[in-house]
Amino acid sequence: MKRSWRQATALFGGLAAIAIIIGLPFWWVVTGSIKLPREIIQRQPTMFPHSFTLQHFEKLLQASDFPIYLLNSVIVALFSTAFTVLMALPAAYAFFRMEFPGRNTLYRTILLAYAFPGVVVLIPLYGLFAKVGLIDSPAALVIVNVALALPFSIWMMRSFLATVPREIEEAAVVDGAPTTTILVRILMPLIAPGIASVAIFAFISSWTEYLFASVLIVSDARRTIPVGFAGIIGQYQIDWGLLLAGATAAIVPVVILFALVGRWFVSGLTEGAVK
Amino acid sequence: MSKTGKGPGKGDKIVKLTRLFTAAGFAALLLSGTAYADPVKLTLWHMEQPPHRVQRMQELLDEFNKGHPDIEVRQEPQSWGEVYAKAPAAFAAGNGPDLLFTIPDFTTVLKKIDAVVPVDDLAKDLDAKHGFVPATIAPYKYDDHVWAIPAYNMAISLWYRNSALKNAGIEVPKTWSEWQAAAEKLGGDGRYGIGLPANKQLYTDQTVYSLMVNSGAADIYKDDGSIDFDKPETVKAYDFYSKLAKLSPADNASWTWGEAEACFASNTCGMILQFSVINTYDTQAEGDAADLGVAAVPHDDGQKESATISYSNAIMLTTKDKAKQDAAKVFLAWLLEPANYGRFLTMEPGLFLPVTNDGAKADSFWSDKVVTKYKPQIETMIANSQNGKLFGFTTGKVFPSIGAISAQNLIAETLQHIVVDGQSAADAVKAGQAKMADIAKK
Amino acid sequence: MKNTTLAFLFVSPALLFLLAVLGWPLVQAVILSFQDVGVIGSEGHFVGLSNYAAVLGGGGFWYAFSRSIVWVLGNAVVQTALALVTALILNQKFPGVQIARTWVILTWIVPTVVVVIIWRWLLSTSGGMINPLLIQAGIVERPVGFFAGRDSAMASLILINSWRWFPFTALMMLAGLTRIPGDLYEAARIDGAGTWQRFRRITWPLLQPTLMVLGVVGTLLSFNVFDVIWLLTAGGPSGGTQTLPVLIYETAFKGYRLSEAATISVLTSILLMGFAFLTTRAMTATEASR
Repeated sequence: MKRSWRQATALFGGLAAIAIIIGLPFWWVVTGSIKLPREIIQRQPTMFPHSFTLQHFEKLLQASDFPIYLLNSVIVALFSTAFTVLMALPAAYAFFRMEFPGRNTLYRTILLAYAFPGVVVLIPLYGLFAKVGLIDSPAALVIVNVALALPFSIWMMRSFLATVPREIEEAAVVDGAPTTTILVRILMPLIAPGIASVAIFAFISSWTEYLFASVLIVSDARRTIPVGFAGIIGQYQIDWGLLLAGATAAIVPVVILFALVGRWFVSGLTEGAVK
Repeated sequence: MSKTGKGPGKGDKIVKLTRLFTAAGFAALLLSGTAYADPVKLTLWHMEQPPHRVQRMQELLDEFNKGHPDIEVRQEPQSWGEVYAKAPAAFAAGNGPDLLFTIPDFTTVLKKIDAVVPVDDLAKDLDAKHGFVPATIAPYKYDDHVWAIPAYNMAISLWYRNSALKNAGIEVPKTWSEWQAAAEKLGGDGRYGIGLPANKQLYTDQTVYSLMVNSGAADIYKDDGSIDFDKPETVKAYDFYSKLAKLSPADNASWTWGEAEACFASNTCGMILQFSVINTYDTQAEGDAADLGVAAVPHDDGQKESATISYSNAIMLTTKDKAKQDAAKVFLAWLLEPANYGRFLTMEPGLFLPVTNDGAKADSFWSDKVVTKYKPQIETMIANSQNGKLFGFTTGKVFPSIGAISAQNLIAETLQHIVVDGQSAADAVKAGQAKMADIAKK
Repeated sequence: MKNTTLAFLFVSPALLFLLAVLGWPLVQAVILSFQDVGVIGSEGHFVGLSNYAAVLGGGGFWYAFSRSIVWVLGNAVVQTALALVTALILNQKFPGVQIARTWVILTWIVPTVVVVIIWRWLLSTSGGMINPLLIQAGIVERPVGFFAGRDSAMASLILINSWRWFPFTALMMLAGLTRIPGDLYEAARIDGAGTWQRFRRITWPLLQPTLMVLGVVGTLLSFNVFDVIWLLTAGGPSGGTQTLPVLIYETAFKGYRLSEAATISVLTSILLMGFAFLTTRAMTATEASR
């Protein structure tokens, strides 16, 4: 089908607007991070850098443990992702396909997990973690991140399962395959893109979590990127150059990650199951 | 055993075990084994998180640990934004630090949960040896004890550029009427004569209070612990502040210290109130030491001399373990030795001011590159800090409600009712008094 | 029944986990709300319902509640509008659509703390890009203080939070859109329906289930947003952006009234649970009827 020129204008105009809204702030930040300090704060800001320096990045690397924060973030996010997926998949399947008393009530209850402000959970949880020696441990962050990502992941997973044609499953049931086999051998490959989306969702929620990480982690060597980044904000002075370099350094790793797996997130969401 | 694998709790246990065995009479046999065993491990939390400060701190700690094989001090930098939630939680859970940096209101909070150990004897010894500036130890001396050892001082001054004043044909303002005139003259052409914050944040508490002390409203408590905020002097300070705030950039409602400094450094603001702009001015602006001007905060025309707000930062002892307490005292005494102390202060050159008399003369302080370059300015800062006060800590009596008043930024909030909601200064101050009184009651 | 046992086996890891990590602390919060604990770690006594009386009788809770409503509605409107337009555009076929679909999510993968710094810098008057841009475009004459008034601060925060979240919402909607069978549109086209009519009669109704879930979860999530607000305005100016989570944090950690904070938390949770319960029931009802 052919678009009229009006439709085309609307389409590409809209695209351009979205690109500007999303991209321009990032352009400013990334280019700002290589400007000389005076250019960063001058009264008439420059759209394109007039100066070039790597001093902010040098300062960032020299004195803060950014590579370690990065490593911590990746480890915590990977474990959070794995546990989230491992728990979400069977739960979602049970909610979707299996009959058991209280199914609907439980399913609703799970989404209720988001009805509580995170701050509420923070204090008692701190006490609990302290008792079992989990303060200042990446495991504590994994536990919290899984709990935060799990409800939505179950919902996502369930809606992916719903896209699998019933006939495929029924054929397997007729063949006498047990439920676990149906889930692992037949459904999992079918909704692989959907599982990828859930995994990426869990990864990103862990990657961006700040509140819990800021209180549960004590030592510098275990900080994640958001907390480490908050640390360089400084109390009495703000070094915008350093912050912009830090922001850039915090953005780049996920951008690289997304360049590799990003399309899975979208195709998983939009296709759910391989049809 | 790896260093990182050992939490403070484990160190605790080892010390306790060691003492238990000793007491049980295994001394002869076991001491030979434990005397050279693990050193006493101390965890130090401070809120000087910017990388270069952490680095300087580590250099000092390495040196101390090397010179004291029986003690090992480890730092865990925290941030002021988080520590108010984190430290009480950590103490409640039994894994708080052994040494903790503090400011006066934070100490009152931790004292309430019994996390702070008095340091009377150490304070006395160190005072005899180095001579504390009285204004720096006063906010930690109450309820018959000294609750922390002062570490460094900060006081707010007025910053400007000599050349800008000269071009506008004005003198350095000393009184409020001169100040307002100067702010009006320095503004225009996209520039602002002055940059004062109006955020609900500690910085605004500080700048507002630095005007209050200059109109005779330094005390916010009466001797009996009732609130003494609503009085003509306070209203006068707020009234004048809101006039100056109108001459400030429109985004001042979201300012913290950094924005004010950037405004000054980019020459958008003619004058600002700040602890120090030296670092920013030196690295992000002209860096011309001769042009950077600093003076005392101007005073109300009816007052005789200028005062300011000063923040004495200190270090608290927060361990109940006797061996750790002793080790911590050794460390604190070492830190205040003039040869080490100057290097500690210059972890942020041009911001942290000495709290001891011999520290103020220490070569290790004045020989720093930045300090040398901005010597006249730093001398003025030290002079200003002598007349420094802090809200809630002016009468020699300290009331626990100051912790909540300070943490909730009620002084700044009162200002916002004027500049954001358009209330009169008198009404806003009255409401502020009511809110503070409500907190003091609880 | 073997099947039932298996079902419970499937569900229980997730359920027990959530119960331990979220449920148990909530019980603690309820207990706290009946005591008079001040600073964390200090002792408390049982005080009955007096915290509830104080919170419900004071103005602070209700004002924060009203600001929360503004916050949630503002986010819902801005995000839904932006996301819907974005989703509809990304649902078209054009060269590079895959790239656009992937990278639209950029704002969501950045840590909140970084988002905060980005906007604090961009909106500042020293070095910030937005003010000079607005002045050049002739929209304003002098630099604007985005956080200077209660409502402008709220609006700025809503826009910043929406900036971060709308691409995610858009992709969720896109997922819903792609599940609408293409032949429906073909049939409508043959019937002579125009673009708008096709949207009204097919897209909008069939997108409802997705919008419902996004509406419920999105409302809960944005209601509980804390870090963006806290790090940018700390609830100011003059309480203009003091939503309930901010009030809870401030009461607990700045006012040192832990029990009062727990009380506000419990009340907030009851409100949100009521909302979630009603809407999810409506949701499962519509799902069942289909």
